[in-house]
Amino acid sequence: MVIENPLPPFLEWIGPAALDWVIVAALVALIAGAGAYLVVALRYGPVTGFGIARRTLVDAAIDVVGISPRRIWALGLLGVKESISRRILWVFAIFVVALAFAGWFIDRTSTEPARLYLDGVLSRTSFLVLVLMLILSAFSLPADLKSKTLHTVVTKPVRMSELVLGRALGFVLVGTGLLAVMSAISYVFVIRGVAHTHELAAENLRKPEVGLASQAAGLVGYTESTNLFPHRHRVYVDPQGTVNVEPEYGHTHPAEAVQGAKGVTYVLGNQEGMLQARVPIYGKLRFRDTAGLDTDKGINVGDEWMYRSYIQGGTRAAAIWTFEKVREADFPDGIPVEMNIGVFRTHKGNIEKGVTGGLAVRNPKTGLWVEVEIFESKEFTPKRLEIPRKIPNRRNAQMIQRKATVDNVTELSPPEVDERLARKEGDFDLFEDLVADGKLEIWLRCVDPGQYFGAGMPDLYLRADDASFTLNFFKGYLGIWLQMALVVGFGVMFSTFLSGPVAALATVGTLLGGYFREFVSQLAQHKVYGGGPFEAFYRLVTQENLITELEPGLQTEVTRMADTVAEFLLRAVASILPPFGDFSYAANVSNGFNVLADPYILVPVVRAIGYLLPVLLAGYFFLKTREVAR
Amino acid sequence: MQSEVIIETRNLTKVYRDFWGRQKVRALKALDLQIRRGEIFGLLGPNGSGKTTTIKLILGLLFPTSGQVLVFGKEATEVTKNERIGYLPEESYLYRFLNAEETLDFYGRLFDMPAALRRQRIADLIEMVGLTKAKRRQLKEYSKGMTRRIGLAQALINDPELVILDEPTTGLDPIGTREMKDLILKFKEQGKTVLMCSHLLADVQDVCDRIGILYQGELKELGRVDSLLTVRDVTEIRAAKLSESAKEEIREVINRHNGELVSIGNPTTSLEDLFLDIIHESEAHPGRRVRGGSDHGD
Repeated sequence: MVIENPLPPFLEWIGPAALDWVIVAALVALIAGAGAYLVVALRYGPVTGFGIARRTLVDAAIDVVGISPRRIWALGLLGVKESISRRILWVFAIFVVALAFAGWFIDRTSTEPARLYLDGVLSRTSFLVLVLMLILSAFSLPADLKSKTLHTVVTKPVRMSELVLGRALGFVLVGTGLLAVMSAISYVFVIRGVAHTHELAAENLRKPEVGLASQAAGLVGYTESTNLFPHRHRVYVDPQGTVNVEPEYGHTHPAEAVQGAKGVTYVLGNQEGMLQARVPIYGKLRFRDTAGLDTDKGINVGDEWMYRSYIQGGTRAAAIWTFEKVREADFPDGIPVEMNIGVFRTHKGNIEKGVTGGLAVRNPKTGLWVEVEIFESKEFTPKRLEIPRKIPNRRNAQMIQRKATVDNVTELSPPEVDERLARKEGDFDLFEDLVADGKLEIWLRCVDPGQYFGAGMPDLYLRADDASFTLNFFKGYLGIWLQMALVVGFGVMFSTFLSGPVAALATVGTLLGGYFREFVSQLAQHKVYGGGPFEAFYRLVTQENLITELEPGLQTEVTRMADTVAEFLLRAVASILPPFGDFSYAANVSNGFNVLADPYILVPVVRAIGYLLPVLLAGYFFLKTREVAR
Repeated sequence: MQSEVIIETRNLTKVYRDFWGRQKVRALKALDLQIRRGEIFGLLGPNGSGKTTTIKLILGLLFPTSGQVLVFGKEATEVTKNERIGYLPEESYLYRFLNAEETLDFYGRLFDMPAALRRQRIADLIEMVGLTKAKRRQLKEYSKGMTRRIGLAQALINDPELVILDEPTTGLDPIGTREMKDLILKFKEQGKTVLMCSHLLADVQDVCDRIGILYQGELKELGRVDSLLTVRDVTEIRAAKLSESAKEEIREVINRHNGELVSIGNPTTSLEDLFLDIIHESEAHPGRRVRGGSDHGD
């Protein structure tokens, strides 16, 4: 598995994102301000209304500047005590019970049991904490209003800004505490869950069959399976007695041979590699078509999942990743590459055999192109390759010009480079010959005619040294924390003017809308089959399929006009809703990818602040302009 | 020289509306009121007369439909005025999961009080309201009287200049009621201003300097308690140590029979009688100010 949509680096993201934020915030403020003025002007007249609006804005500025940390802390602590009094500790009991039985439902025959464990704990924690925080934050202020305890608070020198912030702080503190404990329990659960070893009996090892010359002097065999995870590892013991356990299901085991009185016994340790935090370095992807011309996308093979586009086998088509900042210091011995490419067969071929592909590297400056490896690729099977530091000069190097045009099919190289290539003796050095100013291109081709490889940008990446899994695991909880903070922010904001149940529903709506923001956005842009919501409804009622054009007529016109309005509103909603899914690191952690500070922490943190500021400000205005008593 | 005005309402009106903005009830009609520094002012009225609405408007919990409320010369919605106010609500609207110390600590923090001052103040107040032994118990375990006491303590955490008491003796036993009244009188000695509303007329009579009587949102009476309760068209002579025969001639010849003249003046009615008279009169003649609305005794 790969991360389908890696975030852009923070510095690339922040400029356009900040501009979008300013535009949307200004529009929302303008519309809200105009609406509020209209209400007070209707009630008190335009002049008095203007005075009230002006005073409200001045008060708001004072209330923001005059915030007292001590009061906010006091209100925050109150929220914590209130939450404890509401017996939130029961959530721990539910969580522990959920974990206790989780082991029963994990598919131990899966090739990636660690992913199941990690998905399980992260999703359970996320669900429990978000639901709990939603209830606490949405019901607290309305409950205070109902019980009138808020009367005693707001008759103290408490600013409404402090009240909103204090409430939010309290629930965030509660959520933080819950997450801290849950993450610690989950960590132990995962570590213990995937821990296993195998038995290896000396009698299971034997001399290899003839033909395995490299292993002729050693012993080969298989470990026993385990009750926990039914798999076995192939083992090779070299003549020096070193035990090599081959990877299976993404992990291996340390092993040693112990000489005892009764002979040699083999001891395997705990698994290594099931829990990892790979550090991927992504490149920019472009394609070349069958004629060898540059193109943004490959071929659409009819897959509904648009993430990958395809290159045709046996042609000049290629998927090309350009990597930057590839430094010798980071990869002194070569560059590990991992890929997870899609395979599309137009004919069955040899189903036991993977589709053949080729991986090459190219110097983007000189055009020197060198094939590194021919490999077999099977669908859904991640592949790890190594681009060695010294690439044998197999005389299959060539020069490929970057700029190919319709009639420049020959792709001629600059003469000086040609000469250099002609003079080249011995192996190519990865960094001397193929990396230019830190840039390197990796070309993926499909060799088998009639078959296709599919690739998306994150499908091939350079793998730097792994990061700490433990740290990465807790970073996963940071993502839940950010989601929790957003839920609290929205819950508190809605609770400033809605009753508890309605505020909870509104928060749930925001949460779900946020998760489906991408779809709403596509719907608003008319990118979804079947038209807008009204057209879709019309098709549903009249049992029209999604693809055919509607019959011209009044009904169609009315439906489309209604959709124009609906799509405008949907676009507005989509631009406001927070993309909750983007705040989750669960995919990174469970797929074994390190959650990089830039962009995976920086971008969501800044984005969360970008949402929380206006949301809490809106909460302040709602509370400030409402009567606390009835 | 008249002392500083602490609370002033100008033509204060409050109309409650429904969701659609339609008028539901006119709770307060054009209230003009001034409460000066150092006085104990009682706000009286039957249920629904507008007492609590007035207090909520003064505290900024409600917004006026028209008119203005000034407290310490500031708008009622101005937060900083609350630094000088202590408010004891009708029922103690406190967080029941906190204990007495935590409650006072919480409210002390809301006044941005430094920790040392807060600790000292909490200890003093808990002792003052007699909750030392129960200071670690959650408020949900408190009796109604104890809750009133901790409610009073929270109202005084900031040593306020203006104390607003809504039904202060409700839920207190006779000793507690006496202590509360003594405390209110002590506030006066300390120069604090007190605004209280109560259904217990005897309590108001005992402690208030001035009272205002509201009925159906209108101010029906306003003045000094002693002045309002004076029956002006009756002369009262009180005497002691008179023989039975002397009593017969007392109207003509008190002095001639060596009686001891204790006092002579106008008799007073009870506040309860006055209150009921005003209510009956208001019901008989809606919209009319019963005694002309002058602030007697000012």
